[in-house]
Amino acid sequence: MSTQLTLQAPLVLPPAEVPGHLERLWSDELGSSHGAATFTLVVWEGSWLEQQLVRCGRLDGPITGLLNDTVLEAARAAAISCGLPLSTAPMDPQLAWAIGNLGGDHHAADLRGQFVEGAISVHMPRRLITFAPTLDGAKPLETLVAAYCPLPEEGAGGDACGDVVVLRGGTGALRENLDLVQPLISPELPCWVWWNSSLDEAPEVMTALASGNRRLVVDSSLGDPRRCLDLLVARVGAGQPINDLNWMRLRSWRESLAMVFDPPSRRDALNHVVQLDLDVEGDNPVKGLLLAAWLADRLGWHLTATYAVDGDGSGQGIGAEFERTDGQTVRFRQMPVPVGVPKTHPGAMVGLRLICQSSQGSPLCVILCSESGGCMRLESGGMASMELAEEVVPLPNESEEMEMARLLSGGHDSTNPLLAVAAPIAARLLP
Amino acid sequence: MGAVLTNPLRVGLRQERVIPPQCLVIFGASGDLTHRKLIPALFELFRQRRLPSEFAVLGCARRPWSDEEFRSRMAEALANEVAEHPLAWEQFAAGLFYEPVDLQDPPSVVRLGERLAVIDRQRATRNNRTFYLSVSPTFYGSGCRSLAAAGLLSDPARSRVVIEKPFGRDYGSAQELNRVVQTSAQENQIFRIDHYLGKETVQNILVMRFANTIFEPIWNRNYISSVQITAAETVGVEERAGYYESSGALRDMVQNHLTQMLALTTMEAPGRFDPESMRNEKAKVLQAARLANEDEPWKCCVRGQYGPGGSSSKPITGYRQEPGVNPESTTETYVAMKLFINNWRWQGVPFYLRTGKRLPKRLSEVVLTFREAPVHLFDAAGGAPTPNQLILRIQPNEGAEFKFEVKAPGSGMRSRPVDMAFSYDDSFGEPSDEGYVRLLADAMLGDPTLYTRSDEVEAAWRLYTPLLELIEDAPAQLPVYPYEARTWGPGAADSLLADDGLIWRRP
Repeated sequence: MSTQLTLQAPLVLPPAEVPGHLERLWSDELGSSHGAATFTLVVWEGSWLEQQLVRCGRLDGPITGLLNDTVLEAARAAAISCGLPLSTAPMDPQLAWAIGNLGGDHHAADLRGQFVEGAISVHMPRRLITFAPTLDGAKPLETLVAAYCPLPEEGAGGDACGDVVVLRGGTGALRENLDLVQPLISPELPCWVWWNSSLDEAPEVMTALASGNRRLVVDSSLGDPRRCLDLLVARVGAGQPINDLNWMRLRSWRESLAMVFDPPSRRDALNHVVQLDLDVEGDNPVKGLLLAAWLADRLGWHLTATYAVDGDGSGQGIGAEFERTDGQTVRFRQMPVPVGVPKTHPGAMVGLRLICQSSQGSPLCVILCSESGGCMRLESGGMASMELAEEVVPLPNESEEMEMARLLSGGHDSTNPLLAVAAPIAARLLP
Repeated sequence: MGAVLTNPLRVGLRQERVIPPQCLVIFGASGDLTHRKLIPALFELFRQRRLPSEFAVLGCARRPWSDEEFRSRMAEALANEVAEHPLAWEQFAAGLFYEPVDLQDPPSVVRLGERLAVIDRQRATRNNRTFYLSVSPTFYGSGCRSLAAAGLLSDPARSRVVIEKPFGRDYGSAQELNRVVQTSAQENQIFRIDHYLGKETVQNILVMRFANTIFEPIWNRNYISSVQITAAETVGVEERAGYYESSGALRDMVQNHLTQMLALTTMEAPGRFDPESMRNEKAKVLQAARLANEDEPWKCCVRGQYGPGGSSSKPITGYRQEPGVNPESTTETYVAMKLFINNWRWQGVPFYLRTGKRLPKRLSEVVLTFREAPVHLFDAAGGAPTPNQLILRIQPNEGAEFKFEVKAPGSGMRSRPVDMAFSYDDSFGEPSDEGYVRLLADAMLGDPTLYTRSDEVEAAWRLYTPLLELIEDAPAQLPVYPYEARTWGPGAADSLLADDGLIWRRP
């Protein structure tokens, strides 16, 4: 689906006038339309990568907050210029930080919050509130307001409208004006808070926005792994509905692995797993750990030890041992592997190998490979005598907005129970 | 599908859409369908975490039950499930309510509106309602009118009506009923249910056809010589004699279930999988369908009625001896017919439909028979090579089967047919949801893709109008042939195909 721009050019208003203006908007200008009784979506739209690329002249504006191919291409090129490894993912916060050290003072229009991905607009958010922190940390707060009616596509759609509110400025100014936002969030409608940035930044803003039973959406691939996993565990423990886009991107891996064991004839092998190996891109281990934690939970394994493992010059891996329900040991290794063209987010899965060894019959070796990466390392050594089940895991290849739209369309008002149990195990797996 | 050990990696993977806050109002809540299908389906949705906490079920019927009585009756009907999941039932049952309502009595419907407002406050269901008409078909029109008059259908975004089959008795009555319900609600609020469309394997017809590239190029008159669609039941009329006597197999099975299977098998690929695109294509193909001989419809249709059968130790009662059935009844319990579809894809390909009660096996299937190889190079075990067949098994043993010729082992070059089979059980090993689970969820989500639209229903009735008129006006021309219970129907049905040099598949 294509992106849609607000129909009206947003009106720049003094912050204090925003609530009054919105009231007038609904009573006067949108009087003939009924507001969508859907949800409020609050987005923290850092877009540091895009802002830095524009600033140093490696990307033309405007700044939209959308992660499209042009941004990704510019980011991959910039990684090389910055002397970062080839396998640095475009969304790795280190890259935005490194680009920040490059010279340049280019400017472009900042349209964050004014572009709405079609996949999201189809769900007709009643109010879209975007926090757009700027590179200039001292920039004062600017507030913009516009009415927004999703365009009906091919006969679909209706006359339900919403509005967009953009708060733009330095992080300090945004932090100081958080009180402005609270009255704009209707207590009668569900509220999603999408932290579309690193989990390392502005924790106090996240705490303020994601209060109560608001549905928090984060991306645990962005930020310090320990901080990301601890945040997931803390929010799950506190009973807050939390969704993790990094976890959602594991969907095709979970589905592919489950598919291997769908035929009843293979089910018993799951009771006899002796080894689990994962290969991940680069040095962010969170995604792999979440996958291993999910598997451990589903198969009732108990974590007994975890430790760092030296890689062959490609970084440090993670090793662990689990105890199966029958007391036998399962060895786990997760290793970082270098890749030529990294996927968008850090720590993407490259391959999985699961070896099941029962006393009867030949062992079963399951290998899942990423569509783009292959997994030669996992395919090597000692498998000639095993029954081999090999699958290629398709790339989801969906933008953040599409993932977010999937969440909105699901309408789930609680944490995915699989994530709720996997996150604490993943946190314990991290040495 | 048989239940086997659950795949632990499969648990929780299906993240289906969650139904928005709402109250489901079931009219006819004291009837069979409510405790046999609807409440079990809702409880299943609850256990799958697909119902929000802001959800309620309001049972309505004329009996003066209380909320508590309704809950305990439902618990009794679902005794096994309740015993297995007592805590879940306790939570689910807290959202069950009951209101005595007579849809023909306006003050009663006004009271219903007041009760719904109270439930909205109690359960935060936000004025969002799905009304399920599980009542006698004679009340569909007046029921919709009463709901509309009480203002309960005025918000198209927050109110929907689900209407059970049969939707009309013939083309004229279906048109009239459509007119009445469409004056009470917008078409996008009306959900005409056909529970066959809720079956995983019926939906799989679409997936097989449109998610694979190998089938669609040969899915036409150039490669397919004939199609058979069968829905066979082993049971008799059971407790439905009253309804069945006035309906018969043609109205009870063919006009809806078999016609939907026909539509899914023959429709063009929709531009996208959304309600209107899907239903446009189904309506188009049904509008192109014709009885094989509309001028002399008795030549393309055979009716039958099961007589006594079975063994001396297990005798089976004939239809006319069933309780509640007229001993002189001419209601058909079996019907077979031949159709054509007059479009570019299907012109000249005969479609044979059959359904019946008290047949030897319970099964539903679609069988596509492909044209013979143009030249027979090899000796075939059966004299001539068996034409390729693709068999889509709807139930039981859900799956698909492809029959093709291979070289028989040995020094010669003789061919013989073999099967290549896919089975849901072997590949997935999980029981699939009951059709009502899927369909109820879709209605509450406001997704009508698997529901029939007014033009589809009318096209389906129009297709069989020559037969219905004949049964009404000159029944002798379309006699009801007796057949022994637990046989494959009257011999005349075999003649229908024999004239084309074909035989029914014996599954």
